[in-house]
Amino acid sequence: MSTPMILLIVFLIILVLMYNSLVAKKNQVENIFASIDTQLKKRYDLIPNLVASVSKYMEHEKSILEDVTKLRSEAMQPNISEMQKIALDAKMSAALGSIMVAVENYPELKANENVIHLQHTLSEVEEQISAARRAYNQAVTDYNNAIEQIPTNFMANAMGYTRKEVFEIPQNERANINVGELFNK
Amino acid sequence: MKTKSQLTDFYYKDLYPKLQELEERRIKLKKKLLSIGSFFAILVLLFLFYVQTNHLPLDTLIFGGAATLFIFAFFYRYLTKDYALDFKYAIIEPLIKEIQSNFHYSPNQHILKEYFLHAHFFTTEPDRVSGNDYVHGSIDGVKIKFSDFHAEVEHKDSRDKQTWSTLFQGIFAVTEFPKYFQGSTVVLPDSAENIFGEYLGTLLQKTNFSREQLIKMDNPAFEKEFVVYGTDQIEARYILTPAFMEKILKLKKRSNVPLYLSFRSNTMYLGIAYNKDMFEPSVFRSLLEYKISMEYIDTLHMMMGLVDELKLNQKLWSKL
Repeated sequence: MSTPMILLIVFLIILVLMYNSLVAKKNQVENIFASIDTQLKKRYDLIPNLVASVSKYMEHEKSILEDVTKLRSEAMQPNISEMQKIALDAKMSAALGSIMVAVENYPELKANENVIHLQHTLSEVEEQISAARRAYNQAVTDYNNAIEQIPTNFMANAMGYTRKEVFEIPQNERANINVGELFNK
Repeated sequence: MKTKSQLTDFYYKDLYPKLQELEERRIKLKKKLLSIGSFFAILVLLFLFYVQTNHLPLDTLIFGGAATLFIFAFFYRYLTKDYALDFKYAIIEPLIKEIQSNFHYSPNQHILKEYFLHAHFFTTEPDRVSGNDYVHGSIDGVKIKFSDFHAEVEHKDSRDKQTWSTLFQGIFAVTEFPKYFQGSTVVLPDSAENIFGEYLGTLLQKTNFSREQLIKMDNPAFEKEFVVYGTDQIEARYILTPAFMEKILKLKKRSNVPLYLSFRSNTMYLGIAYNKDMFEPSVFRSLLEYKISMEYIDTLHMMMGLVDELKLNQKLWSKL
């Protein structure tokens, strides 16, 4: 085989490898997002039950409960984008956090077995979501690095790949809302 | 659980009569060992002289040296055996009971090899394992067991001579883990990144075919000390929460030796590679020395406090 031929083959192999690694990175991001979606759904499924259990007692927090219900129905709509899901998730986490804080003011609620169970389940789901979010951010970082670094950036440009957004983990949430701990106070 | 200073008080007050008794034996033993040692030293010197004057090959010298060392090691073992066992029953066991009365101690047993294999700290299997000082019990319903553990691999050189190299030596612990997960996650000391730098090290770790996927953690200090492999990117982060990573880093700082962790079948395996046999009585230094006593107290306190320290007693819901 002539030298130019060998060089061409090597070049083609490199192109294929670059292409495959970019596709793998993109799919990794999508896979992990799908898992986040599953966890978020799990959390949304808990909300009607939670609202029903606490609404009898929580007179002053009616607006938070309404917010949560509204956020849930927004999130349950089909065809919302990843970015919208991410934004809704942040709002939902904050709203649920304030409900959990509010529970503290109602001794009847604090002793209610159903509420205790819900709190535990929520905090478990919350941990799963937080893990999935961190995995997603890492996958997105790897993907973003690949599409911006030489030489894969040329390939990514040609494939029309663009940067993806990571989950903003707000400061108050970085110290995970530890429902269990709130309860032990 | 008792604090370290309470334990130190216990060591120097309650255990003092026994310590003194052991201390007398230790001094006698030390004298005996020193005289045997000097006898062997003279023997070696005479042998050296003999080899020199007769122009014997170097192999004889190496062989002779190894034989002497072996015989001396045998004597040392034989002479210290009773002293060591008495020390363990008189000092180590009461210390353990003082920390947590429901714990059990067997000085001659160790954690089964199967656990070590299941932990999968290493991709090579050990050919020989040994150990001692088996401690087990439960704290807040969380079972924990640990022991000294020594795993070795056999090598054959070109002349078919058998040699052993250490794979792991230190304390090996097995505890229940309060989270439900399906796959496996291992946390290993990060040697590649330390030797080859961040970029090349990560590249090498990625192409480690004997391991599962590389999992990059979002805590830079943790990422610098450890490398994580696992079957599932999300599950690994579910186990290694930001708070848990901080706790592992703290443990690493406290023990100051390489740490190995593995999470499989709702169990946590922890290897602390001290590279020596722990909880053995000191022969050449006094048992009353603060530094010597602190090593026993600190290690036991750390190991038995593991469940509290890592918050393994905060049961989450096991299965959703």
